[in-house]
Amino acid sequence: MLLGVFTWTEFAQQIVSGLRDGAIYGGLALALVIIYRSTRAINFAQGEMATFTTFIAWSLMNHGLSFWTAFPLVLAIAFSGGVAIERLIIRPVENGPVITIVIVTLGLAVLLNGLMSLIWGGGNRPFHGPFSTRTIDVGGVPISVQDIGIVAVSFALVALLALFFRFTKLGLGLRAAALNRQSSELVGVRVGWMLAFGWGLAAVLGAVAGMMVAPVLFLDPNMMQTVLLYAFAAAVLGGLDSPLGAVIGGLLLGVTITLLGRYVGFVGQALKLPTALLLILLVLLVKPNGLFGRVAVRRV
Amino acid sequence: MRLKLGLEVLGLLVLALLIAVMPRLVDNFTAYEMATVGMYFIALLGLSILTGYSGQISLGHGAFMAIGGYTTAILSVDHGVRDLWTIPIAGLVAGVAGLIVGVPALRLSGLYLALITFGIAVSFRQIPIKFDHFFGGTTGKVLGLLKTPFGLSATPEDWIYYLTWGIAFVLLVVAWLFVRGKPGRTLKAIRDSEIAAASSGISIARYKMIAFGMSAFYAGVAGALYAIARAYMNPDVFPIILSVYLVAALALGGIDSFVGLIVGATIIYVLINRADDVTGWINHLPGVSLDSKRPGMPDVIFGAVLILVLITLRTGVGGALRRAFGPLTTRLYSRS
Amino acid sequence: MVVRALLVCVLAAAVVVAAAGARPLATPGVTANEIKIGSSVPLSGEAAIAGSVARGIDAYFNYVNAKGGVFGRKIKFTYLDDGYDPGRAVNNTIRLVQQEGVFAMFSSLGTSNNLAVRKLLNDAKVPQLFVSAGATTFGRDYKKYPWTIGYIPPYSEEGAIYGRYVVQKIKKPKIAVLYQNDDYGRDLYSGLQLGLGKKRSAIVAKVAYDPTSTDVQPQVAQLKASKANVFMIFAFGKFSLQAFNAVSRLGWKPQIFVNDVSSASALMEIVPQSAANGSISIVFGKDPAAPIWRKDKGIRLFQSILKQYGGNDIGARDLKNGFYTAGMATAYTLVDALKKAGRNLTREGIMRAATHLNEKGNPFVLPGIVVRTTPNSRFPITQVKLQRWSKKAWRPFGKLISINPR
Repeated sequence: MLLGVFTWTEFAQQIVSGLRDGAIYGGLALALVIIYRSTRAINFAQGEMATFTTFIAWSLMNHGLSFWTAFPLVLAIAFSGGVAIERLIIRPVENGPVITIVIVTLGLAVLLNGLMSLIWGGGNRPFHGPFSTRTIDVGGVPISVQDIGIVAVSFALVALLALFFRFTKLGLGLRAAALNRQSSELVGVRVGWMLAFGWGLAAVLGAVAGMMVAPVLFLDPNMMQTVLLYAFAAAVLGGLDSPLGAVIGGLLLGVTITLLGRYVGFVGQALKLPTALLLILLVLLVKPNGLFGRVAVRRV
Repeated sequence: MRLKLGLEVLGLLVLALLIAVMPRLVDNFTAYEMATVGMYFIALLGLSILTGYSGQISLGHGAFMAIGGYTTAILSVDHGVRDLWTIPIAGLVAGVAGLIVGVPALRLSGLYLALITFGIAVSFRQIPIKFDHFFGGTTGKVLGLLKTPFGLSATPEDWIYYLTWGIAFVLLVVAWLFVRGKPGRTLKAIRDSEIAAASSGISIARYKMIAFGMSAFYAGVAGALYAIARAYMNPDVFPIILSVYLVAALALGGIDSFVGLIVGATIIYVLINRADDVTGWINHLPGVSLDSKRPGMPDVIFGAVLILVLITLRTGVGGALRRAFGPLTTRLYSRS
Repeated sequence: MVVRALLVCVLAAAVVVAAAGARPLATPGVTANEIKIGSSVPLSGEAAIAGSVARGIDAYFNYVNAKGGVFGRKIKFTYLDDGYDPGRAVNNTIRLVQQEGVFAMFSSLGTSNNLAVRKLLNDAKVPQLFVSAGATTFGRDYKKYPWTIGYIPPYSEEGAIYGRYVVQKIKKPKIAVLYQNDDYGRDLYSGLQLGLGKKRSAIVAKVAYDPTSTDVQPQVAQLKASKANVFMIFAFGKFSLQAFNAVSRLGWKPQIFVNDVSSASALMEIVPQSAANGSISIVFGKDPAAPIWRKDKGIRLFQSILKQYGGNDIGARDLKNGFYTAGMATAYTLVDALKKAGRNLTREGIMRAATHLNEKGNPFVLPGIVVRTTPNSRFPITQVKLQRWSKKAWRPFGKLISINPR
């Protein structure tokens, strides 16, 4: 009875659900990828940063602002927060051993989580996002506008990022700084500020992800905790330095996990997380650069 | 050298004395609390061998503690094994799990290993939920009450204190010998430069895996003791945050210093079980009046202190940290 | 050498312990001025919202103390956070019993947490009063655990009520069930099966979800595909909200039953009303957000107590929080039991009082509910009503239903 009947309509609905969940993972994975590209670090605090900025949005909206008025404010706050974190906390330990950065971001995650509990308390609260919850009918399958919106925004962000990186001077500087710091400095790129900008940008992406997702997941301090692991899986699957990979990886992951959970009795609901973990492991062992990542050249 | 060795031995003896004497000085429940600190200390000992000496990161050691806890729970509840004898078995089972994790770990560099072990910490609890007939699911397993055996007339709390710290002391001596002896020197050589070590004929893989297995063994023992002390086991008993606290406490307390590990273990205990006290102390500061029931403050302080310590101690006094971590940079050049 | 030192210390400790054993015979936690009560609840983590009952309890005790306490003794209520971690719950309980020296543990929350401490409390003969957990075992297994007593109707009974209602009132029912993958969800489900009796085959689909799920929309989609016309939401907190959202999104219109714990008005107001309208749940406490109780004396009392004694940051939202009311209801019963136990308060005495309740005047539960216990029937609340959600409010209907948990 667990597997139930198979209907094409329901199958389509499962895919839609999987795509939407995957877009959620991909959104956060985007932020992870930007940080990895600029500082070669994995930010374990990404989820908490995203939730924190979403709480700020919620607070602003509670004080009477509409979503679209609060939105740019929150992005600005997120950007400055990201820059501040990079300059104050990450910069001092950047050139040290990787474990130090890992622990620093973990400490940041613990701090932010505690801060959210302290300021806003636990418990779920509704968040009124930008998308309406109307349903439209696509070939007999009811799909929510919100789901479409989330997936669309993820792709839009990837496109924006691609344009930014390729066609703006700032984007070029970021890419250069990430690829080769010494040479970049030689041609006048302010590497320090590039890294800070990278973190600011990631914070902004995280904020967008959080605000898109909160209507679905309901806002509470632990909102992104499970999502973070799926986002890691998405980022690894897509290639840790590929924004497009992050989103595609997320979508693939979302659909795979949803379908496995629905149709494979052994996986069921309980083993979805471990499946994602196994996926990360497999990718890292077999094809460490993921689907879209570039093979790193080791300078001797 | 002789002086240093002499000092270390003296330090161990002083520790032994303190352990023996402490329950006379504190009340019953405090002895119980100190026992819990001892359990975290054992787990940190193992983790320090893994990270400090073999340079491998694990953000998932709570999972090994849970393996130990579940081994004890299943053996004592379902098979009637005496709780004492389950401890070494729990360590072994966890140790084997550590060896298994150690295999793919060989092929994963620092960041990726951190990612995978973090994933283990997050997803591990799904196993006892999925296989609930064996593990008891969320209902969990209720163990026999903590009791003083052999007709000794200590309170159960004092008993678990002596049991834990007795085991901790033995494991500490073992770790101390390991680090000072050939295995430790080998690990340090690997940590400092894998290429050089490999070219002198050392089987890197073997040593790194042993380090993983050993650290998991320690964590398993700690988990078994915890399950015995709490007399209950379910997936929520070793939460995700514990794995984070373990690594963080290791960094704070100092990898090279066994005393630092006791400090780290105390910090973990306070964060998990005495958060209300921490908020109470904060309230003594002028102008601060916090609802001590509002959770979050201890985590904020802990996160802030952790970040500050890691930022500032990368030079100077934190030489211990630097010495331990510094040589890792050679491995990390291939950060890809 | 170390071994000898250790043995000497163990012996010394034994002497100290033996000397300390000559304790006075007074009841722990009770003095001329004070009764110490302890509790362990989740104040952080996923279950934090349920842990807020402790705040309602605290406010009520402050109120009682302000009026002189019980026989001149003020209640000192200490509650600690366990984050829903049973290991912490055990530690908290031992700390409260040994270090704080509480007279009794009261209203600790969570099935697994209460299971974890039950043996040790019974072994030490410390009352485990009115636990805030829905597993039947806390009321049923009193022969083995005579110092334990539950409070709220067990989840399995709640499920059975829904089952019986479906049998009586719904023609050709086809039931789909979404349940949380733990005792809470499974108890509701097995109760449903019991209540359906011979009509058990009406259940056409059941899907569990894990609390680590991102969203339960896939599960609801699966359930909808079974073409059921009845949907049981045995889900907690945000997952219940997601279930309603999914029902609305998928264009499904079943008769919905939502379990009591997730039925708070504050939650029901947020979901699409087209899905929520017509939902049925049970109720035994007064929901402060329900318009039917707006002028009710019990709710007025609740709100004034909360404002005056609930702490500095009570806002308008809190005055409509049913978890606080539930806490006050339980606290009322405890104070009732303390009074019945008499001036000469002992642990045996409170257990005797708790198992001989016949409380008719609890202002925080539905009118007509009698909080009744006997030594062999340890389920204090055994009467509920059904309620239906319409026009943004819960509206109780029908008569009080009695349950008979075994």
